[in-house]
Formats: sequence, structure tokens, C-alpha cells
Amino acid sequence: MTTTLPPLATLPPLGARARGRRVLGVVRRDFAALRRSPIRMFEIVFWPTVELVLWGFVTLFLQTQKVPFAVGFLLGAVLLWQVLQKASNEISIAFLEDIWSRNLLNVQVSPLSSVEYLIGLMVFSLGKVAFAVAVMSALCLALYGFGVTAMGLGLVPFMALLLVMGWSLGLVGIAAVLRFGENAQVIAWSLVFVAQPLTGIFYPVSVLPAPLQTVAHLIPGTYVFEGMRTVLNGGAVPWGDLALAALLDVVYLGISLAVFGWALRYARAHGKLSRFGE
Amino acid sequence: MAILEARSLTKRFGAVTAVDGLDLAVGRAEVVGLLGPNGAGKSTTLHMLLGLITPDEGSVTMFGKDLHRNRVEVLSRINFAASYVDLPGTLHVQEVLEVFADLYAVDRPAAKVAALLDLLELGPLRRRKVMELSSGQRTRVQLAKALLNEPDLLILDEPTANLDPDAGDRIRTLLVRLAREEGRAMLITSHNMPEVERMCDRIHFMAEGRIVASGSAAELAASFEADDLEAVFLKVARG
Ligand SMILES: Nc1ncnc2c1ncn2[C@@H]1O[C@H](COP(=O)(O)OP(=O)(O)O)[C@@H](O)[C@H]1O
Ligand SMILES: [Mg+2]
Repeated sequence: MTTTLPPLATLPPLGARARGRRVLGVVRRDFAALRRSPIRMFEIVFWPTVELVLWGFVTLFLQTQKVPFAVGFLLGAVLLWQVLQKASNEISIAFLEDIWSRNLLNVQVSPLSSVEYLIGLMVFSLGKVAFAVAVMSALCLALYGFGVTAMGLGLVPFMALLLVMGWSLGLVGIAAVLRFGENAQVIAWSLVFVAQPLTGIFYPVSVLPAPLQTVAHLIPGTYVFEGMRTVLNGGAVPWGDLALAALLDVVYLGISLAVFGWALRYARAHGKLSRFGE
Repeated sequence: MAILEARSLTKRFGAVTAVDGLDLAVGRAEVVGLLGPNGAGKSTTLHMLLGLITPDEGSVTMFGKDLHRNRVEVLSRINFAASYVDLPGTLHVQEVLEVFADLYAVDRPAAKVAALLDLLELGPLRRRKVMELSSGQRTRVQLAKALLNEPDLLILDEPTANLDPDAGDRIRTLLVRLAREEGRAMLITSHNMPEVERMCDRIHFMAEGRIVASGSAAELAASFEADDLEAVFLKVARG
């Protein structure tokens, strides 16, 4: 007599297919949540549009005052800033949503590894950022006749560098919530704004006092925003600076992954995971 | 052979020793109940078995593997439901199950999701948002989620706590069926004594982080000279 084993209900958990499916699960969850929440759809385009309209008119005003100022400087800055801010906040939101909906434990007891979870969050935030950028680019062109292609070839590395920087900040934000509890949401939202004055978004870093300039040059975004102005002024893409920024990005991403891992271990050691939402 | 073996598990939260040198085993197809007053350490124990809480001391072995060193493999063979967790409220029932089918890397997910919608009588609700459902319906969705990977061990923390007697009874009937017909091993906590009597092959009473009495419902009643489990509980809880 032969006995047939029942077919395995799941794919081999350590195999590449299972890993891919788990990452897909995170993306699918976020996508479904977005699809079922019109408010959040609205939000993707609302803030970028408001900022774009605001700074666009500021630029037009400056031009009537005979201030020599390229339309692209502020608009390009607003657009790239949104990449940074969204990359950071979208990651935190996706994580916080699990806490708000009391779903965190379900995710944490699933075979999803932290790395898979984070890759899923990053992939999804990439999609949202790409969508927001597309909308903003169209608006820039329609309202102010500014085509983002004026940034030329640099546009791709500019956005990629900011995306990775945003992810690092988002990870630190999540880590803060894991370590300090839900009230640390504030940190998750505001961390990226600490970078805002330092990273030379709206003005060259040279206007900062010397010590702050040193700090600025440790931030990957600084090289992006300076690079953007160089390119819009007709200069070449400063590849050397961007390479330095990429190096900084890698270092910070490594550090924030380590911080996240440490915060997760802390939360597990202190029984914090089951205490959210109480 | 035991599919779950926990040895001298200990967890302290500051001055509180929530779990104190606890040994626990669950055999294949066995339904084990964990009882005890609030604060006895039941949830902390379950959370250590699920890798949500790192024990201060002791080890957790499942399917012959150390949980902490084989997290992904072990977690893909067990599952969990509890009265205090929820599923993403804005998603449709079917979407939630599809998401978790991915998170558990379920083979042939569409067929599995369809079968579970059927089993838990969720078919008519599959396009409803989870947050619009009653607690009884939500509990059924949670159980469907917990069955997606055909777990060899189901860990349930007060699964019927929020339910009215009718909804609670439906869930209980279903759990008994899963245990008896599918031979699914379970580790369950509950404050509902008839439920525990009906479901559990073996029961451990916990108090202040320790197991203070063990046995089948009948054995416990006999050794405590009590009429039923309820009376045993009162004797144990009041010392
Ligand atoms: N994350 C935590 N932080 C601090 N104390 C905790 C935590 N989790 C549980 N406790 C304490 O540990 C003890 C056991 O709690 P718990 O395991 O939830 O008991 P039960 O599930 O049996 O009601 C209680 O005194 C509780 O207050
Ligand atoms: Mg409990």
C-alpha cells in the first residue's frame, strides 16, 4: 500500500518564490488600502499641487519685481522636495497603518521577514512617488510652462538619491515608533522637515553659516539640490558630487536599517508589539 | 512527538515576572488549553511562542527547530488569531485573505481563499469591508486568515471573547470540527469553561506565570473534587 502525502499548502518558505510572494503581499496590501480609501488617493496629489501652485506664483511675483530668478529653481525644488518627503512619509504611513488597524500582530507573526517587509514598503512608495511626480510634472508644464526635462539627464539620479534618503528617514521614523511607542509618530512625520532648511532646497548652501554648511555637506540631498540649480543654470550634471551623495545614501541606509533592527529587537524584548493601540 | 516544546520560559517586565520557568508541550493533533485569571501570563506565553516577545530565559522548539533561529520556517507552519487583533478594516474580506495568502506564500492561493470563504460562510461577505462586519463575522475572517497556510499548530488567544453566545457557539463548533476532523493541533486560551471542556484534550492552569495544575477536564475536576472546570478555576484562582 502506498501512502500519498498531502500536498504542501505553502511554497518552500525559504525559496525565492515564497520570498517574492511575501513582498508582493505587502505591496498588495498597501495598494488595496489605497484603492479603498479615496481620501488617500486625493492626498497623493493634493499637497504636491498646493505647494506647486504656491511656489509657482511666488516665482511669477519675483519675476515681476525684476528679481533674476529662473522659474525652474523653485518649481524644481518643490518637485524634488516632494520626492524626498513622500519617500519618507509613505514608508512610515504604511507601517503606522498596521498599528492603527490593529493588524500589526498579524503581520509580525507571519513568516514575512523584516527585509521583505521593508522591500515591500519601498516598492510601494516608489510607485506612489512616481505617480505624484508624473502629476506634478504635468502641472508644472501646464501652469508655468516649465518642463522637468530641463533638468536633463540629472533628473533620474536626483530622484533616486532623494528616494533612498527619504527611505532612510522613514525607517528611522518607524524605529522611533517601535522604540518610544505611538506618540513618536510625530518624529516619523517631522524628521524629514529637519532636513529641509539644511539641505539647500530653496537657496544655495553657501548662505548658511559655516558650521551648518559642514552639516549640509553630510546630507545627500544637498548635492541633489545644488546639482539641480547647476543644471538649470546651464551647467553639466555634477556626477562626482552625485557619486558622493550616493555613497552617503548607502551609509545612511545601512545605519537606518541597523537602527530599525535594533528597535524591533527592543520592542520584542519589552513586549511592546502587542501594546500598540492600548 | 511534540510539535511544540517550550522549556523554562521566563519573561519579566520590570518588577513583574509575567511568565516564570514555564514548560509546555503540544502534540500532533492535540488541543491544549491554557487557563488562568487575568494577568496569569497566558498571552505573554503565547506571544513568546509566536516570536512576538523574546523570552528572558528558556527556549521554544517547534517541529524540532529552534524558533529564534528558524523564524521564517516555523512561522509559516503555524498561525494565530486573537480577540484583540483585527485585520485591515478598509480592505474587502477577499482582499484581506489574498494579502495573507501572499504573506504565507500559499500555494494556489485563489483556490484556497475560495475554499475558506466557503468553509467559514463568508461567501456573501467577500466584497464587504472588514470594518463594516459584526464581531462574529470578523472573527470568522480572522479564522479564515489563520487557516490559509493549513497550520500544523493554531494559536488562539481568547478567540471568542468578544462574541455573543450565538456567534461564540458557531465559532466553537467550527473549532471543534477543525480539531476533530482535520486533526489540527491547537493551543488556546479562554475564560469560557464549557468551551474549554468541550475542546481541549489537555488543560494547564496558570497563576502568576506558572503552571499550577494540569490534566484533562475530568482529571482536573476529580483531583480538585469539583463538579466542573468552572469550580476548578475558582479553587485555583482563589488558592
Ligand atoms: N508588554 C508588557 N509590559 C509590561 N507588563 C506586561 C506586558 N505584557 C504583560 N505584562 C504584565 O504581565 C502579566 C501577565 O500578562 P498577560 O500575559 O497579558 O496575562 P493574561 O493573558 O494571562 O491575562 C501582567 O501582570 C501584565 O500586566
Ligand atoms: Mg491575555
